[in-house]
Amino acid sequence: MAAAEKSTKEKLLSTLDDIEVLSRELIEMLALSRSQKLPQSGEDTQILELLVQRDKEFQELMQTAMEQGRVHQEMQTLEKEVEKRDSDIQQLQKQLKEAEHILATAVYQAKEKLKSIEKARKGSISSEEIIKYAHRISASNAVCAPLNWVPGDPRRPYPTDLEMRSGMLGNISNMSTNGVNGHLPGDALAAGRLPDVLTPQYPWQSTDVSMGILPPHHGNDFGLEPPGHNKENEDDVEAMSTDSSSSSSDSD
Amino acid sequence: MATTVPVVEEAEDYSFLPIIHDVIKCMDKDSPDVHQELNKLKTKIQEAREQISGMPGIDMSPALQENKLQTLREQVQTKNQLLQKYKSLCMFDIPKPS
Repeated sequence: MAAAEKSTKEKLLSTLDDIEVLSRELIEMLALSRSQKLPQSGEDTQILELLVQRDKEFQELMQTAMEQGRVHQEMQTLEKEVEKRDSDIQQLQKQLKEAEHILATAVYQAKEKLKSIEKARKGSISSEEIIKYAHRISASNAVCAPLNWVPGDPRRPYPTDLEMRSGMLGNISNMSTNGVNGHLPGDALAAGRLPDVLTPQYPWQSTDVSMGILPPHHGNDFGLEPPGHNKENEDDVEAMSTDSSSSSSDSD
Repeated sequence: MATTVPVVEEAEDYSFLPIIHDVIKCMDKDSPDVHQELNKLKTKIQEAREQISGMPGIDMSPALQENKLQTLREQVQTKNQLLQKYKSLCMFDIPKPS
């Protein structure tokens, strides 16, 4: 493997040292031969020839050095251009990164929105059905007292004690001893054969339902049928409800 | 005796032969200016040394410098092409936060 080539500077300095040494030797030789009056040997000619050669080399190297100086200037210009391009590329890279981040966020949010839309679509309920349920809930006066309700009115938005006792749950022990065809009361209800006397009566529903809050042709759309309207029980309820231990805040 | 020194005609100032020739001429004439000429020679050598130390771009050989120059040119060309390619892509307008 060839050794690394010497730099121009090293060559120039080396040649300059040679010139200095050779010129000194030549001058000393000439001075010595003159002072001692000795005939000159051929050595001074050799030194002179070497000196001339070194001087020529030195001049050629100086020309090369000047040319390298010009190339060095061009290289500096190119290096500045490379630096500028590097900073441009970095700037562009930063902008692209920012854009990528913004796009990624937007895509993620859009995907989340699509998921929500799909979820809502799967669990969609008919608005008509929701409105019917709303009517049903509000028709029972469970969310708001009836317009003509006054303190002392026995009607409550919940079944009272007596009403519960008179209902199916309250009479369940009686039903099990009587045994309607040997079946449990739940079976009787499921079979739709519950006697009318055991049908639970809800007095507070009776008048409002009859006012037609529910559309007439939609009145029987729900699974739970409203209890039969029985005006006879209203007085009983009125008497019984006053003795109830309800915790309603309306009962003043 | 005076030795005939071949006269070297050089256009540049980098030749030391004229000064050496002057020194030898003074020695031949036994002139008192010998020391002056010798000092001139020493000064010129020293100045040449300082000039060489300050010259830019001579820390490498000409071949190596040429290689580096070529590499730099290629770098500039490549980066220009890269920038051109990025600029020809669709640009995004990043809205400034209000």
